[in-house]
Amino acid sequence: MAMSGVSRWLILGCLVLLVACRPATSDVPGAQVDLTWDPAPPAVGQAQLLLRLRDAAGQPLAGGKVRLEGNMNHAGMKPSFGELNEVEPGSYAGTLEFTMGGDWFVLVTATFPDGTSLERKVDVAGVKAR
Amino acid sequence: MTTTLSRRPPSGDRLPAGQRPNAALDLLALPGVGRFLRWRHSRLMLQLPLLAVSVVMVAHAFWGPDLAPKNLAALLTWVHFRGLVVLALLCAGNLFCMACPFLLPRELARRLIAPRWEWPRWLRGKWLSLALFVAVLFTYELFDLWSDPWWTGVLIVAYFAAALLVDALFRRASFCKHVCPVGQFNFLGSTLSPLEVAVRDHQVCHTCSTKDCIVGRRAEAPQALDRQRPAGEAQLPIIQRGCELGLFQPRKVGNLDCTFCLDCVYACPHDNVGLLARLPAEELVAAGSRSGLGVVERRADLSAWMIVFTFAALLNAFAMISPVYALEQAIAEWTGLTVEWPILAALFAVTLLIEPALLLAAAAYTTRWLSGTGESLLAIVQRFARSLVPIGFGIWLAHYGFHFFTGLWTVIPVTQHTVWRTTGRELLGAPQWHLGGLPESVVFPLEMGFLGLGLLGSWLVAWGISRQLAAERTLGGWAPWAALHLAIFAAAVWILTQPMDMRGTFLGG
Repeated sequence: MAMSGVSRWLILGCLVLLVACRPATSDVPGAQVDLTWDPAPPAVGQAQLLLRLRDAAGQPLAGGKVRLEGNMNHAGMKPSFGELNEVEPGSYAGTLEFTMGGDWFVLVTATFPDGTSLERKVDVAGVKAR
Repeated sequence: MTTTLSRRPPSGDRLPAGQRPNAALDLLALPGVGRFLRWRHSRLMLQLPLLAVSVVMVAHAFWGPDLAPKNLAALLTWVHFRGLVVLALLCAGNLFCMACPFLLPRELARRLIAPRWEWPRWLRGKWLSLALFVAVLFTYELFDLWSDPWWTGVLIVAYFAAALLVDALFRRASFCKHVCPVGQFNFLGSTLSPLEVAVRDHQVCHTCSTKDCIVGRRAEAPQALDRQRPAGEAQLPIIQRGCELGLFQPRKVGNLDCTFCLDCVYACPHDNVGLLARLPAEELVAAGSRSGLGVVERRADLSAWMIVFTFAALLNAFAMISPVYALEQAIAEWTGLTVEWPILAALFAVTLLIEPALLLAAAAYTTRWLSGTGESLLAIVQRFARSLVPIGFGIWLAHYGFHFFTGLWTVIPVTQHTVWRTTGRELLGAPQWHLGGLPESVVFPLEMGFLGLGLLGSWLVAWGISRQLAAERTLGGWAPWAALHLAIFAAAVWILTQPMDMRGTFLGG
């Protein structure tokens, strides 16, 4: 059966929507993300953190612009944000505020000079309530 | 429908109390809101937006981000919906049941197939809904539903499916009356509401012969059609339902089992049913038989609901603070258990069965001793179970109000984020993640206010019940229950002053 003009436009529209719905990604394949806290485990308040980023071969991912977003694992809480500074190639330090005790997760977003980027979710279980 | 308030007998003030026209504020008589609510399709107009929101929530649960703080299903279900339900109950009435979206698919289904069966007799009452309520609470804690959008979506879809299935098969509002745990929760909460669907003038009901408020109205039969039908068969289409929950307006007392559907308002040919202001909690003291319910204080299922409603409020709040994890960890170490469900089941059993049984038995025993009544302990417990509802509702209000107020504005950035993810464009602007809610310093006094109101309500209700039990020794009958209410209040204050600690990983998984 021949496809009508309207059907063709509908399918094209759906395809455009599908493409538009998918956020653009250019992830670093096999990247390793290692996050350490001070205090460990973190408690409510500001926590110091050190983030080490390595590629699949174990080489440091240097020169990145790294941003953190901390959320509790339940809804209805304002997220915490943090910008990290590179202290040595592939190692980034900074702080993040935990506003409540419980289970958190941190979204690590990094963009690198070559245009690649990285996004990872790191669980931070059992942030201590004061 | 037009209002005909002028039909009330002018000499009502000479009638005995209870027979006089109800002079309370009638929402249906107000301009604007009254006109809207008297419109037959007003309920549908309230249900449609909630259905649309439900569809968005389900879609987001299954195809949106699996991170609860960024997912509308998790956010709206566990933060906004629960908070709005209890606040609406406090400020107005059972508005959620009025606008319930779960019933729309069944309305559609009933246009295609008429339900054939009556709800099984052995399943009537509130036991099934009570079991489902406890099951939902247990599942919520065990599987951390607050942090799981996918399972939250499954829960919503299951709710729609259950309502559709039950009401497609069984006549009347079987799902609302016998199954729906949210509905029963709302019925109990609405005993504290300032509005009630009630008769405006009982004298008018005395002269009514059609009882449309309960039986509904059927279409007029054309003569030709009438001749074709066997005698006695009255299967003409219903043009206006009466109360499907079996509440006969002239003998209806309070809000229990009332979904605020307003079918009785539309059915009454005398325009004699209103949405009237009343004293919250007064119905909890009312004795005697009620239409559709019987004698509340003699119904074990209703008493059990009231008890679980109150102690589950404590349990649900207790589960969000640190000591519960310490306790669970201690039990795990003591027993050697490495899975959570038996420990959680033990906590539920202690909190919802053993603890209430001991406390209520002690209160009832002391009441019997101090008041000199000859009633059995069980009868005294059933009598005074109603007095638990205000403090229980106060705890639910404080708990859900906390999440609602502290997360009030988070729906804005999550919606913006959803639109961005769906369309690829920031049509509603960039997500304003800095928007949270009211500060805890503002919300805490509100929580304490809700608890205080609950305690006061429980004391007043217990006083009224005690006066019915032993008019000469009211204080003696009241004091043990007042002490119990105070203990529950103190426990709730202690819980709400603990730092929140929302975890799902106490056993490392």
